[in-house]
Amino acid sequence: MKWLLVCCIVILGLASARADILEVTVVEPYVDMHSGPASEYPVFHIIEQGQSVAVLKTRTGWYKVRTAKGIEGWIVADDLVMAEIAPGQTVALPEYRFEDYQQRTFEFGVYTGRLDNSNSLSVSAAWAMTQNIVAEVSATQALGEYAENQLWLVRVQHFIFPKWRLSPYMTLGFGQIRTTPDTTLIQGGGESRTSDLMEVGLGARYYLLRNFSARLEYKRLTALTARDDLEELNQWQLGFSVFF
Amino acid sequence: MATRFLGVFLSTLLMTLPVSANLDQVVIEPQLERRDITEADIDSENFEVALFAGQVSVEDFSSGVLVGASLTYHVSENLFAEMAYGQAEAGQTSYEILSGGAQFLTDEERQYRYYDLAIGYKFNGEVFVSQGRALNSDFYFMLGGGNTDFAADSHFTLVLGAGYRLLLTDYLALRLDARDRIFSSELIGEQKETHNMQYTLGVSLFF
Repeated sequence: MKWLLVCCIVILGLASARADILEVTVVEPYVDMHSGPASEYPVFHIIEQGQSVAVLKTRTGWYKVRTAKGIEGWIVADDLVMAEIAPGQTVALPEYRFEDYQQRTFEFGVYTGRLDNSNSLSVSAAWAMTQNIVAEVSATQALGEYAENQLWLVRVQHFIFPKWRLSPYMTLGFGQIRTTPDTTLIQGGGESRTSDLMEVGLGARYYLLRNFSARLEYKRLTALTARDDLEELNQWQLGFSVFF
Repeated sequence: MATRFLGVFLSTLLMTLPVSANLDQVVIEPQLERRDITEADIDSENFEVALFAGQVSVEDFSSGVLVGASLTYHVSENLFAEMAYGQAEAGQTSYEILSGGAQFLTDEERQYRYYDLAIGYKFNGEVFVSQGRALNSDFYFMLGGGNTDFAADSHFTLVLGAGYRLLLTDYLALRLDARDRIFSSELIGEQKETHNMQYTLGVSLFF
């Protein structure tokens, strides 16, 4: 019986240690509590000055809180930032800002655009080596009327003015392109061919909000085909990326 | 004279005292300390994963059962980005049915598979289930692009959609989705834009 009691106390202790829910006290005259995580949801309760609430979870800039009386609702991040954890100690939320963008390590993006006369879709993963130089790998699928192209590139981007919100950049890269002719039009011609690829490009990125930025770029691709002549391709793309 | 001088001096000193005390109060910075809260301190639920099933009507090829999955990232209270994958088996063209036996495509070619990426905008709302009980919900429009593999060929696809999400709890939702996936095809001879309508019912989890 004693053992059971000890076990219970230990388990309770562990449970409470693990569930270290953040408690904050409202210092503003009052804070609106919404019924859902968006400004459109109605305000159904007011948290008064001096009242404490437990912060349960977050979704897109909104925080779900529970009052001492057990009333649960959502408050906006701006109100939580004003609240105190202890007297004189406020909350600093992990929200991304433009300063964080300049210190980013990884960035992932998706883009859509045109590769010569076909529509293209691309994904990319990038590693920011310095503020100016970013290494990136990208994969593109371009579906044309007569052929399907798949290409990958390893590229280096050079940001000339990384501290500008709208910042131009230049790129250089290499990779491969695989072209598969359309089977319905070219009977039995489903055989694909692969060529090496060189790239030079120009682009601009614009920091949007939180950890998002948009990007517009133009690339000139040179495919080193088995034939005597080089094949030149032009690619335009627009997309957005998220950084961590 | 000396006492008068002392009096003036003392009164001047007295007058400056509260002023200097005031100055002190102004100079003192409020000791407002900001404690950094990390992601681990507060459970964030900006991602949503969904499984869905329904019907798709593949233009000229009858309809079939569709199953799929999607991953959504909620950017703001109104905007979200969604990646989706789905697959179905298309049926027969009316020509195949009427001619009785002529096969236009092999079974493998009849597989309809797609993946796409779309941006959505949602209008938040509530549903009143009973008096005193409301569930959060939202209605959304989506626009995106992707790829459809059908009849041994890949097609660039434009995606238009609308949907309705009913949140049973904070993290569990029911979804009803309608999509029009538009791609250009020359399968039955002439080049045309095909509209492949689908409607699905799904369950999603926020994490």
